[in-house]
Amino acid sequence: MKSRWSHWASVVLPVAAAAVVFVAAWKAIVLIANYPDWFLPAPEVVAQRFAQAWLDGTMWRHASATLVEIGLGFVVGAGLAVAVGYLLARSRLAERLLSPYLVAAQATPILVLAPLFVVWLGTGLAAKVVICALIVFFPVAVATMVGIRSVDARLLELGRSLRASHWQVVRHLELPAALPQILGGMRIGVTLAVIGAIVGEWAGADRGLGVLINLARGSLFDFPLMFATLATIAGIAVLLYLVVVLVERALVGAWR
Amino acid sequence: MFRRFMVVLGMVIGLAAVGCGPGAPTTAPLTRLTVGLGFTPSVQFAQFYRAQQQGYYRAAGLDVTFQNEIDPNLITLLGQGAVDIGMADGTSVIPAVGQGIPIRYAATIYARFPSIVMVAADSGIASAVDLRGRKVGIPGQYGSSWIMLQALLASGGLSPSDLTLQPFPEYGQEIALQQGLVDAATGFRNNEPVKLALQGFPTTILDIDQITPLPGPGLTVGEATLASKRDAVRAFVAATLRAMTEISADPEAGLDDAIAVVPELGSDRTTQLAILEATIDMWRSPYTDAHGLGAIDGGAWAESLDFMRGLPESNIPASLTADQLVTSEVLP
Repeated sequence: MKSRWSHWASVVLPVAAAAVVFVAAWKAIVLIANYPDWFLPAPEVVAQRFAQAWLDGTMWRHASATLVEIGLGFVVGAGLAVAVGYLLARSRLAERLLSPYLVAAQATPILVLAPLFVVWLGTGLAAKVVICALIVFFPVAVATMVGIRSVDARLLELGRSLRASHWQVVRHLELPAALPQILGGMRIGVTLAVIGAIVGEWAGADRGLGVLINLARGSLFDFPLMFATLATIAGIAVLLYLVVVLVERALVGAWR
Repeated sequence: MFRRFMVVLGMVIGLAAVGCGPGAPTTAPLTRLTVGLGFTPSVQFAQFYRAQQQGYYRAAGLDVTFQNEIDPNLITLLGQGAVDIGMADGTSVIPAVGQGIPIRYAATIYARFPSIVMVAADSGIASAVDLRGRKVGIPGQYGSSWIMLQALLASGGLSPSDLTLQPFPEYGQEIALQQGLVDAATGFRNNEPVKLALQGFPTTILDIDQITPLPGPGLTVGEATLASKRDAVRAFVAATLRAMTEISADPEAGLDDAIAVVPELGSDRTTQLAILEATIDMWRSPYTDAHGLGAIDGGAWAESLDFMRGLPESNIPASLTADQLVTSEVLP
């Protein structure tokens, strides 16, 4: 009982304490500088607007669209990245052929690419999924490549000596061994997917949290709503990150 | 002898010290003004460039610096006092003041609402009613073009749900219209239709000037600036209106001043001159013809306020009045 309490305290208390300090500092800045709501709304004003936007359905209408984009973009991007990352790890030729393009794609600002995808694919879901997938791809592919390359050669030797097929080696030796690195890349990728969805919405959409930010900022001058939307975006990113962490714990534990 | 020398020397030093010798320039300190224009430097801001190039601002005791900002940023910077005067959309001023941002619209620059819907001249679309069921390119469901579109559709008994909307946030709707990807597109009367016409793609324009007199972009000032630099703002408005009058009479001169500030505009004088001439047309309306350039039509503002308050996503408080949005105190 005591150990469970101490575990809970060691995990939850620092998080709660950091949140309290953050909100208190925010409130203090607003109070000391006497900022109006249109410059920096106080936390309780944002909280009130946050609750109102969720209760009247405004936030969900936009958040649901963004979640679909993130989900599909992450699955497509991470799935391709694992396959390509494996290829890069096991084929020097593939690495030499693909690496320059992968690095170039990563270095090109997604803000510049996003409008092009909208022109090519239209303003529907496809462009957002591609933008999300593109931004997710690189960290997951690199993590996969590093993970696969770091698999102990003796382990692979053991597999071969037991006459394991190539697929058996991949499935039972390489992927489980590389899983911590792959999921580490996915932790980064899933937060980037959130950015990809918002950028995609800015490039052309009529629904989504990126659209709601534009509405709040550019049409309504409703800064509490803009901050409430930012809080929702941050919340989604944290939640998805925790999901990947939980999956990581479950999978890595199960496969070891 | 020595006393006479000392008297003359004293006079020379005295004159030099006060700087009032024959032909000496005035040394009165200039009032600094930061002026926010649209997102990118453009020939549409020729009146400001002319007043700067011809020294009208300096002669009025002003040291003017231009800054390019998108409208939402500009509105908040004006409210903070970080920018003194800005070319802000009237349709942004209304919700901004409604949300407590302390700014006032102080002089009309666009007496007609520049945001329009354009269609291919041979499309058969002649009025708002004809837009039913059509695909319309828009930058997004926000800003002045979105408000204009709703006003236009309402005049034909339509709403945005009667159309298929195609967002183009990077203002690609002009190309989309040309390529036939959309049936109609929002744009600015003094920009896209002018360029399309020069490219041999004539358009028909649907505007809302006769439907809902929405306030176009104009000189907007923060309340604090208005209180602390009232005379400087008044002098700025007068110098700008002088430049507008001159450019109206001689657009080529306005283009030359714009090119002096933004040399890139000189690469295509024909297009830039056409845009400037279309812009000059937007500075005048029957109201400004009767009351002078820059005049603010309070009745039109009241109508616009009522219209915008009735929009579905409106957050404009019922207590807001047109008097809280505009001021005529810095007009000549």
